Amino acid sequence: MLSHLHELWRYRELILQLAWSDFKLRYKNSALGFFWSLLEPLLMLLVLYVVFSNLMRIQVEHYQLFLLLGIILWNFFDRGTSMSIFGIIGKPSLVQKVYFPRDILVISTCLTALMMTALEFVVFVVFMAVFNVVPGWTAVYFPVLLVLEFLMIIGLSLALSALNVYFRDIQFIWRVILQVGFFATPVIYPITIFPEKARWIVMLNPMAQIITMMRDGILYRSAPGPEALAYLAAAAFLALLIGYMIFEHLEPRFAEAI
Amino acid sequence: MGCAVKVEHLCKTFRIPHERRTTLFESIAGFLRPNRYETITVLQDIDFEVESGECIGIIGENGSGKSTLLKIIANILRPTSGSVEVSGKLTPFLELGVGFQPDLSVRENIRIYGTVMGLPRRMISERIEDVIGFAGLERFEDTKLKNLSSGMQVRLAFSTAIQTEPDVLLVDEVLAVGDMEFQKRCFEVFDHYRKEGVTIFFVSHDLGAVRRFCNRALLLNKEKMVCLDETNRVIEKYIYKAPAESAAPKTEENGVRRGNKRIEILGVKLLDKNGNESSDFISLDPLKVRILYNAHEKVYAPVFGLAFYWNDLYCYGTITEFEKYDISPFFGKGHVDFAIERLPVLEGKIEITAAVAGPNNKVLYDWHERLYSFEVHNQTSDLGIFHIDGRWSAGRFV
Repeated sequence: MLSHLHELWRYRELILQLAWSDFKLRYKNSALGFFWSLLEPLLMLLVLYVVFSNLMRIQVEHYQLFLLLGIILWNFFDRGTSMSIFGIIGKPSLVQKVYFPRDILVISTCLTALMMTALEFVVFVVFMAVFNVVPGWTAVYFPVLLVLEFLMIIGLSLALSALNVYFRDIQFIWRVILQVGFFATPVIYPITIFPEKARWIVMLNPMAQIITMMRDGILYRSAPGPEALAYLAAAAFLALLIGYMIFEHLEPRFAEAI
Repeated sequence: MGCAVKVEHLCKTFRIPHERRTTLFESIAGFLRPNRYETITVLQDIDFEVESGECIGIIGENGSGKSTLLKIIANILRPTSGSVEVSGKLTPFLELGVGFQPDLSVRENIRIYGTVMGLPRRMISERIEDVIGFAGLERFEDTKLKNLSSGMQVRLAFSTAIQTEPDVLLVDEVLAVGDMEFQKRCFEVFDHYRKEGVTIFFVSHDLGAVRRFCNRALLLNKEKMVCLDETNRVIEKYIYKAPAESAAPKTEENGVRRGNKRIEILGVKLLDKNGNESSDFISLDPLKVRILYNAHEKVYAPVFGLAFYWNDLYCYGTITEFEKYDISPFFGKGHVDFAIERLPVLEGKIEITAAVAGPNNKVLYDWHERLYSFEVHNQTSDLGIFHIDGRWSAGRFV
C-alpha cells in the first residue's frame, strides 16, 4: 500500500489535471458558470430555512449558517460519492486504451468534488460576514475535519466505483441510501432533537460526527472531544482501507468488464 | 543491448457468460440458477524476449490475439497466467486522443492528453506551441475541440502523442486512420523513434509496412505464437500457410469450360517453392503451375497452354508447342508443369486459363477460362505491377 502511495505521488500531475479539467467542464457548459452551481445549495438553503425555522420552529442559534454548513458538508459527501460511482465506467477509453493506476480516476473525481465544495465555502464565509459571526480558535479543526471527510469519501468511492463496474445497479441503490442518509444525519436539525439516550446511535454515523464537530468548531467555539475525533479518524481510515482493498481486488478485470 | 520486454508462458482466457449479469439484482436472482460460462482462450503459452531497440511487427489474422497481446504488455489487461516484464517507460498508442474532452479548447486538450500520455507538466508547457504548429492548428488554438474536423482532431492527438519519450512503444493500427500524407508522417516519426533506440511493437495488417519497418516479426495464429523471426521469413510463413483453400476450381459455368474432353483437365495446382499448394505467393519467388489431366483416349502430341491475366489484362500466354516440348503419347492421368523461377509480378491477383488442344491446335480438348487464380504480395521495395530485371549503376560525365 505504501509503494502504491508512492506510485500515486508520481502521478500527481495527472490526478490534478484530470480533476481540474473535469471541474472546468462542469461549469463551462452553462452561461453563468459558477453562479448556477452556487445557486443550487443556496436555493436549498432558502427552502429548508423557510420550512424549518418558521413552520417547524427549530430553535438554533445562527440557524442559517448552521443549515448552510450542514448542506455544504453533506453535498460534498453526496457529490463526491455519486460522481465517483461513474469514475470508472464513465471513462472507458482511459481504462481500455491506456494504463495508469485506475484509482487515479476515482481520486481525481473526489478532488473535483472538493474543488466544488471549496467554492461553496467561499459563499459560506461571505454569509458569516453578513451575519456577523466571528469564528473562534476552534475553527482550526476545520481543515482536519475536511481532510477526514475527504479520505472517507475516497474510501467509499473506491469501493462503489469498483462494484459498479460489475453490478450496475449499485448506482441506484446508493442514491436511495444517500436520500435516507440526508434525513438520518443531522443536516437540517440539531442532534439535540433526539432523546439523550438515543443520540449515540445517530452519532455512529461518521457524517453526523463531521457535521456536528464542524458546527461546534466554526459557529459555537467549542473544540471536538478527543474520543469523537479519534472515532472519526478511525472510521475514515477504515473506509479508506476497505475501499482500497475492494478496489484492488476488482481492478484487474476492469478493462474486460467495463 | 538489454532485454526490453520479456514474456513468459503467457496465457489469456476470457470468460464470457452466456447471460451477462451486470446488476446486483440479477446476480442475487440468478444465484440459484448458476450462470454458464464460455471460456475463450485468446493467447496460449506465448514466450518471447525482445531486446531494447528492436522493432517487432505483430501479424496474424483477425482474432488471433494481436491486440490482446499488446494490451497485456501495456498492463491494461492482466494475464491469466504467465508473466510480462517491461523495462523502462512504456507508452501505448492503442488509440489516439484518449481522454479528449470535446467541450474544452485545443490547448486544454493538449494538456489533458499530454498528461494522460505521461508527459510532465513542465514539458507540455514548453512544447505546446510546437504541438499546435505541428498539427497545423495555429488559428484554432482556443477553439473547442468539438468544432474541429475529425482530421484535425487526429492530427492534434498525434502531434501531442509523439511528444512522449518512451522506451517501449506499442502501436496498434493507429496508422489505419488518416490520409496518405498523415501515414507518411507517422512513419517518419516512428522511424525517428527507432533511430533513437526505442523498442517498438507494431500491430498491422499492412504487410508492406511491417516489412519496411520491422526487423523482426511475431506471427500469431489462433491464439498460438507461430514464430518470432526475421521479418521476411515470418511474412513468408504467414502467406504460405498450408493448406490453401482457394486454389480449387470455381464452379463450372457455361462458356467457361469448353472442348470435347478427349483429354480432360482435372484441375490446376499452384505450388510454392516448398512444393505446397497455395493461393498466395510472394513476388520474385518460384511458382509452379501444375495442370492435372486425364486422357480418356490415346492422344499424340497434344498442346497444353496457359494464359495469365492481371485484372482483365492479358499478360502472358504460352503453349507447349512453342516451347518445342516433346510430349508423347498421352493416356491416363498425369500432369504437366510450368515452372516459373522468379515470379515477375509485384502485386495483385493473377487469373489463369488452362487449355489442352489437339496437335497444331486443330481440335480443342478442354478449356478452363480463368478458373484459377492466385494472389501476389509485394516483398520488395519496388513499386508497380511487374518486376523488370534491371540493375542501377552510376558514372560521371567525361
